[in-house]
Amino acid sequence: MFFRKTRTRSTRWLIAIGALALNALILAPAQAAAGLNVVATTSTLGALAREIGGDQAEVRVLAPPDRDAHYLDARPSFMAALRRADMLLEIGAGLEEGWLPAAQRGASNRAINSGQPGHFRAADMIELRRSITMDGPNMGHVHEEGNPHFNTDPRRLAEIAIALGERMGQLHSDHADTFMERAERTANRLREHAEALADRVEPGQHIVVYHEDLDYLEEWLPVEIVGYLEPAPGIPPTARHLRSLVSDLEGTEGTVLYAEFQPPRGAEFLERNLGWPTHAVPLDPPADSGLEGYLELMTTWAESLPQR
Amino acid sequence: MPRFALTRPALAGLTALTLATPGAAAAQWTAPPNDASWGLDVSLILEGVYYNEMSRGNRDPAGFDDGHDHGHDHDHGHGHDHGFDNGFNLGHSELVFEASLGDLFDGVLTIGFDEDHVEVEEAYLVTRALPGGFQVKAGKFLSDIGYINSRHGHDWDFVDRPLVNEYLFGDHGLQETGVQATWVAPTETYTQLGVELLQGETGGIANYEGGQSALNGQDRILRDRSGPRLITAFAKFGPDLGPDHAAQFGVSGGYARSFQQTDEHSTRFEDWDGSAWFAGLDAVYKYSSGRAYGHGDWRLQGEYFYREIDVDRRDVNFEADGNGPIGFVRNEQSFKNQQDGIYVQGVYGFAPRWEAGLRTEALGLTNDVGRGSGSSFGASYRHTAQVTFRPVEPVFLRAQLSQSDFIDEDDRRDRGLEFMLQLNVALGAHGAHRF
Repeated sequence: MFFRKTRTRSTRWLIAIGALALNALILAPAQAAAGLNVVATTSTLGALAREIGGDQAEVRVLAPPDRDAHYLDARPSFMAALRRADMLLEIGAGLEEGWLPAAQRGASNRAINSGQPGHFRAADMIELRRSITMDGPNMGHVHEEGNPHFNTDPRRLAEIAIALGERMGQLHSDHADTFMERAERTANRLREHAEALADRVEPGQHIVVYHEDLDYLEEWLPVEIVGYLEPAPGIPPTARHLRSLVSDLEGTEGTVLYAEFQPPRGAEFLERNLGWPTHAVPLDPPADSGLEGYLELMTTWAESLPQR
Repeated sequence: MPRFALTRPALAGLTALTLATPGAAAAQWTAPPNDASWGLDVSLILEGVYYNEMSRGNRDPAGFDDGHDHGHDHDHGHGHDHGFDNGFNLGHSELVFEASLGDLFDGVLTIGFDEDHVEVEEAYLVTRALPGGFQVKAGKFLSDIGYINSRHGHDWDFVDRPLVNEYLFGDHGLQETGVQATWVAPTETYTQLGVELLQGETGGIANYEGGQSALNGQDRILRDRSGPRLITAFAKFGPDLGPDHAAQFGVSGGYARSFQQTDEHSTRFEDWDGSAWFAGLDAVYKYSSGRAYGHGDWRLQGEYFYREIDVDRRDVNFEADGNGPIGFVRNEQSFKNQQDGIYVQGVYGFAPRWEAGLRTEALGLTNDVGRGSGSSFGASYRHTAQVTFRPVEPVFLRAQLSQSDFIDEDDRRDRGLEFMLQLNVALGAHGAHRF
């Protein structure tokens, strides 16, 4: 009879699943590697973790550096990486809110839950600049805590490096001293390089940027942001907005900077109408880079401006 | 004889697991003082639909009109259309509440509403603190079988639900009350396994009527049967394909130890009592071009499901007729219905913030209905095209044109054409979207 057949089939199913689950429980602890398995959302955080962790950390970066980290999918591969992570490094302040909570939930790994030591939220370690979205009309892209694009500020990253070294030491106490030492060295190199680059830039620079993602350049370079290509964060440039930028800035000198993944049309319009040079720059270092990659990126930003 | 002996111990085990583990976890968990993620997140999804039926085809695909072909037409409105009137409709809106109890539990409540109905769509707790990659969800929720079943409408690429999900499960898909346990393997390739013990009330796969009173001393074959009456299992795999490509493949199935149906004819009740099972495959692929506002991105998605209903039928008169008095029994038979459905769809970002998509569907490629002397119906099809514009992140405007090509029980095909314009706005702290 049909019932009988189905019953045995589903019973076997259950047993098979049970056996698999049991197997996994037994095997899972054996998988834990000696080093710290770190997953970073952006390559800037990944670079810090690599520098501080050295051989004691295995670092995987989720967001490809040439993509906008606001808009990613909570990919299965992200969940697989988070499932095995001892530590999750995120920027926070709403940057990854469209995908990271879903990936975190899908990973079923309590070590990286919010509130656990394995969850490191960089925005909690520093003071943020205000975000334009906090003052403007609510267009669905609101960063209540402040501007989350501090990856372009080496001084804030230096503070983050110290906090990260401390946290990694908590998780892997055998190497706490090494981590702290490397974190301090990282912080110093970031600060020194920032100072050296700032000294070489012609003072009093005006820049127009696409999004508020390059705002933090004001914090360490002698520049002032005089406009945005986006009429509001998350809204693509409109012809009317670009025309009003041109009329406001007519007769002044400056540079247009935008991220490589942002459409170049608005910048080209300003170049044609104001004669300002434009530069498409990366916002994060290559996915596999360490501190050197980030220091080179700082140089790229600084050298896109007129030098002394 | 209990047909599903394993259900009870398994449920008891799961419940024990849910209750025991948070206690163990609580000792190690320390609350950071001012964590913003602790509050209640509320979001409101509002939808408006302009609907225009440009030409009317067959209402129901053959073999799927409640599973049997009674000759009389009772237009009771639940006929599987989405219930849009010609002109303006409120559509399907949602109010979503989400909160966390530290890192122990997340709680989610989704209230769905349109002009006439308010319904609790989902109300569940899901654990976050179980060790070893385990997670338990309990409450009312959308089953994780297949792909689209667990997603809410504002997350879909088309205005309406795929035919296979609507006709094999129900107007809300497989939405049940019960317990789900999942496990994510610590592997390079994302691997998730899950089982669900569900009450078993979904019309297409676990319809439940319960015992009916006797007629003139004649018992009906329908019996009370306590839940859970439906068990499902699923597995999902997602290989790492680098920064541009992502994919997920799934296999799922389920068994309902009770499938009951009763239908009122002019002088008799027609009762079915038996069981049902289903199995299916799903696949999703996404390409990310790296350009701004989704320009150049691709999404491909497809699902196939097969369902078999195996029932005993017995009709009982509630009114005397030419065949016999009240309580007279006839049409005793045992039969199976074997049916399936498939859809494949693709969406392409043809300009920044603009997408266009195509979906093609078939229902009843296998369409054997065993009632009476048994019939084998032809397949029904539907083809849909859409264009979507997202002026700002939480808003989209979608125009959709569908051509249905349904076959009726007399093997006649008739085509219908529908146009829909959908406006969907997400307000408030709307949670992250799953892959």
